[in-house]
Amino acid sequence: MSRRYHVIIVGSGLAGMAAADLLSRHGLSVLMVDENAQIGGQLLRKPIYACSPYRRLEPDCQKRWGMQLAQKLKKNRVCFLSGVQVLGIYPGPTLLVEQAGGYAAEYCADAMILATGARERHLPFKGWMLPGVMATGAAQILIKNSGILPGRRTLIGGCSPLMFALAAEILANGGKIMAVFDQSKAAKKLNAVTAGLAIWPKLFEGAIYLMRMAAARVPIKQGVRIVEARGRQELEAVVAARVDTNGCIIQGSEKIYPTDTLAVGYGFSPNIELPQQAGCSVSYSVDKGGWYVDVDAFMATTVKDIYAVGETTGIAGAGKSFIEGYMAAWNILYRQGGVNREDFEKHIRPLMRQHDRQVQYGGFINQLCRLEPACYTGIPDETVICRCEEVTMGEIRRQLENGFSTMNGIKKATRCGMGNCQGRTCGPILFDIISAFTKRPPESIGYTSARSPVKTVSLGALGQITLSSSDANEYRSQG
Amino acid sequence: MANLRIASAQRGAKITIVVNGRSCEAFKGETVHAALLAAGRRVLRKTVKSGQPRGIFCGMGVCYDCLVTINGVPNQRACMTLVEDWMEISVDE
Repeated sequence: MSRRYHVIIVGSGLAGMAAADLLSRHGLSVLMVDENAQIGGQLLRKPIYACSPYRRLEPDCQKRWGMQLAQKLKKNRVCFLSGVQVLGIYPGPTLLVEQAGGYAAEYCADAMILATGARERHLPFKGWMLPGVMATGAAQILIKNSGILPGRRTLIGGCSPLMFALAAEILANGGKIMAVFDQSKAAKKLNAVTAGLAIWPKLFEGAIYLMRMAAARVPIKQGVRIVEARGRQELEAVVAARVDTNGCIIQGSEKIYPTDTLAVGYGFSPNIELPQQAGCSVSYSVDKGGWYVDVDAFMATTVKDIYAVGETTGIAGAGKSFIEGYMAAWNILYRQGGVNREDFEKHIRPLMRQHDRQVQYGGFINQLCRLEPACYTGIPDETVICRCEEVTMGEIRRQLENGFSTMNGIKKATRCGMGNCQGRTCGPILFDIISAFTKRPPESIGYTSARSPVKTVSLGALGQITLSSSDANEYRSQG
Repeated sequence: MANLRIASAQRGAKITIVVNGRSCEAFKGETVHAALLAAGRRVLRKTVKSGQPRGIFCGMGVCYDCLVTINGVPNQRACMTLVEDWMEISVDE
């Protein structure tokens, strides 16, 4: 038996919450689902037992708005299902999920908003699988959710704005940082002035982070790349070297840094798996962080009654997420007759202007995190690319030389992307590798297809499913 | 071993978890992966193909590296599971 709502929102981050807020204020029944235990997505992670939503003076104004929004949603009658794994979307639209406890459930709605967010990107190096090497986000989450430092003295590396936010977070919580190695060169950052007005709040925030690091005497080096993580069973030392403007390692500049904790990040990649499974069209753009979900000016995807918002439609941070959540909600309200055309246009116009600025900001950030092709072509053969299936660079190189030049082709030839994470970690890396080697356009390299179940599901839950939709078996994905 | 727990952080009640038969402390509200890290357990599993050690990587439920057995149920993501009193956790050694 399925339950029906006006709107179902997948993902309770800033975009999902903004949409839920507006829709519920207009009297629509809203269901929000999230894999995580708490509402708020990645940015608003906090301890479950936090007595106040405001841990301390928060320089990030978008985080403050987000926390206020989360408080507000508790008062509105928005249903929130946590600990949910989404299997897929079927005609209706109908959402099929496995809920906490291993029970399958079906939910129907007039419209669905996919706000599935993003995950971190990576640049593999020898030994990056060792315990002690983690993503910058992982280090942040340990601190924010569980109040535990990632290590005694953390080395931070990569090419990501998150590196500096993490450094500030560690220092603010009494932890130590060995150094921050930024792979990009300082010159690239001077392009900030062309990013327009949207960049200034972030520059202010960045300045605060840098001040905290300067006060703690944390060495920050530009143009230094992580080359290797060494250790027997766990991380013991990191090798880093200087890079030239092409991202190539300058031979002889390697240095060894003894540490047991390394946090690395290389930007973000949109979570497009559920939208793909639902049949939504996707496109590629470096300015948007890679493959992203295609939406029109008002967040509608190519599938009727399905909308996509936030990082899913392009990496650009909290500002764009908020705006897109509200835009999709106004669009749904207008289409369902909840507001008239005049009201719709009155509200959507200022949002569209702000949206343009945030997209521009996103473009700047994504270009900053962009790695040169040589970073990929130079990866040594023994480096593991697919962590789940332990597929090495050498195996991928061999298949590229055999003539495979698409994502699906390399996936089938090597098993890269066939493991538990279904290519979430290695997919963006593999795409960049193929792109660097073959120089083919993105559309001909393609991306791997996403099929149900989009997230792992237990056999017990699978056994409970009988879709009430009679034409579910004829459902076909587009593209 | 340094104490990785942040003194000023807000935690729930102190509880006991059992890791490979040994009891250690944890606090309600922590995730399994965080409690294991605080207890000095960084190797969580050995890979099927080559027996390589793996631990925390993405910390947000995406990479499936932090798989441990919880109360007899295998392949649970430690980073997506909250600790509970007397939870039995098995990690590869």
